[in-house]
Amino acid sequence: MEFNATFFNEFAETLSKQEGYRLSRTLLPDIPTEKLRKISQSQNAHNIKGVLRRGLQGNAALVGELDHQEVQAWVEVYAAYWNATGVILAARESSSDGSKSSGLVWTKAYEAWTELLNVLLRGYQNSGFEAWTIPCMYVVCKHLRIFAMQADEERNNSSSFDDTAAAFQDDFDPETNKRQKLEDCARVLSRVFMVCQTDRAPLEESRKWGSYYIANLLLKTYFKLNSASLSKNILNSLRAGGRDMPQFSAFPKSQQVTFKYHEGVLAFLDENYDLAEQCLTEAWNLCHKHAVRNKELILTYLIPCHLIKSHTLPTEKLLEPFPRLQKLFLPLCRCIKRGELHKFDLALQEGEDEFVKRRIYLTLERGRDIALRNLLRKVFLARGFEEAKEGEKPARRTRVPVAEFAAAISLGSQEKIDNDEVECLLANMIYKNHMKGYISRQHGIVVLSKSGAFPGTGV
Amino acid sequence: MASSQTTTKKDDKPAAESKPEQQQQPGAEQKTAALEEDDEFEDFPVDDWEQEDTEAAASGSGATQHLWEESWDDDDTSDDFSAQLKEELKKVEASKKR
Repeated sequence: MEFNATFFNEFAETLSKQEGYRLSRTLLPDIPTEKLRKISQSQNAHNIKGVLRRGLQGNAALVGELDHQEVQAWVEVYAAYWNATGVILAARESSSDGSKSSGLVWTKAYEAWTELLNVLLRGYQNSGFEAWTIPCMYVVCKHLRIFAMQADEERNNSSSFDDTAAAFQDDFDPETNKRQKLEDCARVLSRVFMVCQTDRAPLEESRKWGSYYIANLLLKTYFKLNSASLSKNILNSLRAGGRDMPQFSAFPKSQQVTFKYHEGVLAFLDENYDLAEQCLTEAWNLCHKHAVRNKELILTYLIPCHLIKSHTLPTEKLLEPFPRLQKLFLPLCRCIKRGELHKFDLALQEGEDEFVKRRIYLTLERGRDIALRNLLRKVFLARGFEEAKEGEKPARRTRVPVAEFAAAISLGSQEKIDNDEVECLLANMIYKNHMKGYISRQHGIVVLSKSGAFPGTGV
Repeated sequence: MASSQTTTKKDDKPAAESKPEQQQQPGAEQKTAALEEDDEFEDFPVDDWEQEDTEAAASGSGATQHLWEESWDDDDTSDDFSAQLKEELKKVEASKKR
């Protein structure tokens, strides 16, 4: 919005109505280029602060709402925003030109936007900006991260003279350099997070309400930077502040779902599948029904969780709207269900790259136990019943030759598996309580429990 | 607008770049893959929504029963694998008796 009477009226009105989200729209950078140009060209560096000061102070509706210091702080904020619009405009024009000569334009945009964030932050720390205005912080932080990624991408794509210069330094790490601005952004965001977290104002008007939005931005950033440990610091900080925080369920659902997703994935990577399942289920249940991509991401981790925890598989109905997930999981699920051990191994190999990329390979590999359990169970069922004595229910034949299990295990793989290895697999199954019974080596048979040979599976 | 442009651009490049890296150093494979990941949780178009717009409400109460099933299937014994397995077990039994 240009800094004219309409803008000052808008500012005054949002202020008197305390509409934070509406106010935050005056600080958007992702507006059409024409609008951006209008804002940028409506003022010059010499006049901008004077115009803003007169406009903000001169507005009758504002008198009494803001004290002098606060007005001054907003002047600084909008001046920084105005400055950034010029830089962003230049960046957009230069990237559409495709001319390489103009240097790292998005780095400049990132820097100008960082300045805006710093000024805004000072407004909260020193000039008494109220908590209802916190959506302004959301908008500025969200775009800081976007500019950081754009700056990194631009630098990585540009000629590498910078890199070679840096390479002469001893502690040069190309990976770190690749994500330079995003890392810087993470540091800035964590400062914002602290400013929210440490607010001592009464809960109704506390910046603590901003904690989860900023935490989510930080988590996304740390995930990009591949830093689980820093992510955990955020969770710990929120947990520690738990008693003084507003109820989690009082936050907007978009924030709850995003947070629970990240918390769940972190627990998943820690192999804490109980917590992971709980968080991801919460995220799933609260997720907006039309947010297909996010639902897909939640399921990517929830499915392996279910496989490990409750040994259940997704139904076709569940996977129906997600072709990508079908491709990812259906072959494996089919093999597990049928107990096709060899095909399971092949399917795991087949999808290895994708599974590793999604960080679910190791968890899915543990699904082999379930496939094996189902195979052994099939062998057991195939043996049928003992001849029933009169008036009694027929009992299943519980003595199964190891050789039968061995034949089943090596089925399809073309290679003979030796007896010791089979016994080892069986012993493992018994140890993990997938199967109840004991191996009688002397007779080469497995004696299975008469009451629940395969716990939890109805036989 | 700006954000969607960046993300799509990002998707293409790193995916292509990460392949040769993975082949060169299999040890670092997982790390690289995770770094180049495009699995970022998306921003929701709206901030908040009603309970009736949640997934839980959309799939109805008792939803979980339809979404997850047991890992074994006793009814489906007509597939090739089951038949093959039965054959194999018969062979084992036959060789025992001899």
